[in-house]
Amino acid sequence: MATINPDIDLYAVLNVPFDATADEIRHAYRQLARQVHPDMQDTQGTAMLFRQVQEAYEILSDSNQRSAYDRQRVEAGLSPKSIFQWKMQPSRAALSVDVDEQIVYLLFDIAAGQSDQARGRQALNICLVLDRSTSMQGSRLEQTKASAQRMIDSLAADDALSIVTFSDKAEIVWPSQLLTDPIKTKAKVSAIQASGGTEILQGLMAGLTEIQKRRSQYAVNHLILLTDGQTYGDEDRCLSAAEEAAKQRIGISAMGIGEDWNDALLDAIASRCGGVSQYIASTGEIQHFLRERLQGLSTVYADNVRLLFKPIDGTRLKSAFKLSPYIERIPLEDETLLLGALQSDAAVSGIIELIVNAHDAGDHRLAQLELIGNIPSRQLDDALLRQDVTFTFDPSANPNTPAPSHILSALAKVTIFQMQEGALNALEKGDVAGATHRLETMATRLLDMGEHQLARAALLEAGRLARSGNLSPAGRKAIKYGTRSLILASPKER
Amino acid sequence: MIECPSCGHLHRPGTLFCSECGVYLLTGGPLRTEPLPESDLPTTRADPWESGDKAGTGEAPHETMLIIVPPSGRQLTLPAEGEAVIGRLDATRGVFPNIDLTPEGGLEGGVSRRHARIHRQKSQYFIEDLGSANGTFLNGQRLTPYLPHPLHDNDELQLGRVRIQVSVR
Repeated sequence: MATINPDIDLYAVLNVPFDATADEIRHAYRQLARQVHPDMQDTQGTAMLFRQVQEAYEILSDSNQRSAYDRQRVEAGLSPKSIFQWKMQPSRAALSVDVDEQIVYLLFDIAAGQSDQARGRQALNICLVLDRSTSMQGSRLEQTKASAQRMIDSLAADDALSIVTFSDKAEIVWPSQLLTDPIKTKAKVSAIQASGGTEILQGLMAGLTEIQKRRSQYAVNHLILLTDGQTYGDEDRCLSAAEEAAKQRIGISAMGIGEDWNDALLDAIASRCGGVSQYIASTGEIQHFLRERLQGLSTVYADNVRLLFKPIDGTRLKSAFKLSPYIERIPLEDETLLLGALQSDAAVSGIIELIVNAHDAGDHRLAQLELIGNIPSRQLDDALLRQDVTFTFDPSANPNTPAPSHILSALAKVTIFQMQEGALNALEKGDVAGATHRLETMATRLLDMGEHQLARAALLEAGRLARSGNLSPAGRKAIKYGTRSLILASPKER
Repeated sequence: MIECPSCGHLHRPGTLFCSECGVYLLTGGPLRTEPLPESDLPTTRADPWESGDKAGTGEAPHETMLIIVPPSGRQLTLPAEGEAVIGRLDATRGVFPNIDLTPEGGLEGGVSRRHARIHRQKSQYFIEDLGSANGTFLNGQRLTPYLPHPLHDNDELQLGRVRIQVSVR
């Protein structure tokens, strides 16, 4: 009996759908076997192809073996029937033997279960937390209010909404409830006036309290924070509030308007809660981003999605990055990679860098990965899939074998993102020369890739840094949010 | 450990990009395609009129194209999208051809980064030279750049000096 490896799609080998009948499978096999029979076409490739077809048929034609194979495919996220569609691809097929520590990359791609991708929208429990400090006066506040009103119009009858404003303290503009009277809600929004300072913690706490009132395990509970300013002295408490929210499965997305807000803080809040952070350079974009966020939330398929890394034989994680919706470093705490929410219409992909210890020739299991998430529409908590990370160690493996081009293309962008991180870290430590040098090198790479606009921004800031020892707030954000979005824009090839 | 050819930073084997300076570590930066001496390449030219739709009526919808690169014996099936750029990978420049001929001596063989393109129209495959430095040859005849030519089973392609066998079935 052939050993069954769930990683190989035997249905694809025979070119039949996964739910093909026994007759269809037999028919496809006979046809293929004639075409690829070594007696008909005598090349090395045909013999290999023939063997593959033969092995696929052996398993799929035996109902016991086929159902065992199908079950393994479902549990590994590889079958259309799986709760998640989960693909993993390594940068190299074979690893070198007798190398103490070598690097290998794994690209992962997670999407909603196929039968559920077309499902209707989720009920929402949303709280808008709006900055109404003095600096918001004028077009910022007006655009924010208009966008909030558009949002009220687009909510469904079973969605709950609350609105909180904050300056030095928080006020509840609209307590959490179903939208029975949208005109009344919009009138309350119209009456919001700007004055006072910016204390994000106040707004965050009041907003979380409102969400708590209607928190449901089977709805999308999410807080959207809009601010244009720095908060002073309460950053740590903001982060603990975000951590507390994450434990209760409340997501937080944070949007910063203009140049003067604390990007490190808002990024950290959002990434802790599986939300997104957004840089809004001009007030005209507020409505667009708010609508986009609402759209994303209403198509959430699973939340609190995470990968658990279980090392075998001393394999270690070196780094991990999310690639969608933008490049983001995934913290490696407790070997749990938090991926946030998964929408039914967009996959979450990322790349993991592994350090692998020396092994003898042959196949070795280097780790096990568990994919866990909550799926409200199926009323499933901690739904779990498992995949093994197995590599062949081959004495004749060529270390210079190029990786698949989409992995290289993703890594090239992640590398730019890391150089940006490196520059900002160097600056934080007071190493102005180091930060300048990194920005300049990064600009060279960006030029090579055809990213002229971002390269110019980086060079401009490198010049400013060398002269004044500081980045401009606008330049810092342009570089940070430009490099993380590289993955979205395809590079212009030569 | 492997050393970055550009900044000297040390990395574990298998690392693909230098985290310090962003250089792709397997080739260490962009390498130019050098023109080959004329005597190394065939001189006849393919008939530019044997192109377009003339042959696009074959009746087998499930045909797949297999590309065999003799120097390494590597075999590739054309990606499902039915299109593949053949060339030489240059990660620093963001050039990632679907079929990279670097392992088969692409650089010394005069293969351009984006050398040629194979695509499918209905059931017919076509080869198109993308203005390469050293030309694309179909059964020993040089192709006019940017003019697609029909490809058939057992055709021999030559990109610069690198030969490729094509099999359609």
